[in-house]
Amino acid sequence: MRMDSKRIEELLNKYWNCETSLEEEQQLKEYFSGTHIPDQWKETAALFRYFEESKKKSLTDSSFDGRVMKNVHKPEGKMRKLVINSLRIAAGVAVLVAATWFVRKEIRQSTPQAVVDTYDDPQLAFEETKKALQMISKSFGAAEQQAKKINLFNEAQEEIQKKNKDEVNL
Amino acid sequence: MNLESFQNRVLPVKNKLFRFALRFLGSEEEAKDVVQEVFIRVWNGREQMNEVQNWEAWCMRITKNLSLDRVRSLNRKQTHPMEETFDIRNEALTPHESTEIQESMQRINQLIEALPEKQRQVIHLRDVEGYSYNEICEILELDMNQVKVNLFRARNAVREKLIKINAYGL
Repeated sequence: MRMDSKRIEELLNKYWNCETSLEEEQQLKEYFSGTHIPDQWKETAALFRYFEESKKKSLTDSSFDGRVMKNVHKPEGKMRKLVINSLRIAAGVAVLVAATWFVRKEIRQSTPQAVVDTYDDPQLAFEETKKALQMISKSFGAAEQQAKKINLFNEAQEEIQKKNKDEVNL
Repeated sequence: MNLESFQNRVLPVKNKLFRFALRFLGSEEEAKDVVQEVFIRVWNGREQMNEVQNWEAWCMRITKNLSLDRVRSLNRKQTHPMEETFDIRNEALTPHESTEIQESMQRINQLIEALPEKQRQVIHLRDVEGYSYNEICEILELDMNQVKVNLFRARNAVREKLIKINAYGL
């Protein structure tokens, strides 16, 4: 494909302004890979040739593909899988145990100790309960004596009401 | 994706990945290692591949990321200058012309190697590999504007130097 220098000039201007399409850039590469390039474009031609040459560089190592495929194809061993799965389960259990321990600790701290059952021996517990009930009973006894005084007021009130009724009937 | 389609579809892009990695690393051995790692990652992430629209761009992106990681770790140790040789075989050229072309290609290679990293990546992807702007955006994780600005700067930096070489024969 032969292109006149005017067209090349135009494409080059577009190229330096980054306005060329990939196809137009390909046309420039093709043009500059040819012979009989005018002297004014000698270095530009070298640039395009450099791009083309750079693209030819390849991975020459013939054992490369095989090595990649071997690395990629390495199936995970059954033992490895087993160990990984057991570790997963162990980690789960550890988290559960730790969580339970913390929750238990938290509950213990927030409950008043008086509520917690402290006696193992039923006999001893009975004695302690009896003691506590007796203490309450004693207090009730004391309270009853005080309450009797209030009764006096009631009796007095009834007496007055009776008198008032009699006066009305008269 | 099964092993067969991996071998037939994915593995053949190895040269593109290799050239791209070579741009970053300058050493064929390092680039080869990176490409091998890319394939292993692609295989391990093959489930994801169905969701990826353009898997080739995806492979290129992984290549970029792994290459950059390696460049960083290599920079701590040593840097590899890129030594490129170009094999120009053209019957129409005299030995003298061949040598001349060879020399100008080396010069251009040095020019491109001297570009800032992003510009070097963009000009490689566009002018050597012929990727569309959209694909370059995807590979480099840049927006369209950044890609075009970088390409414009890269092409014009190279152009200016070529004009100087032409004018002063430097």
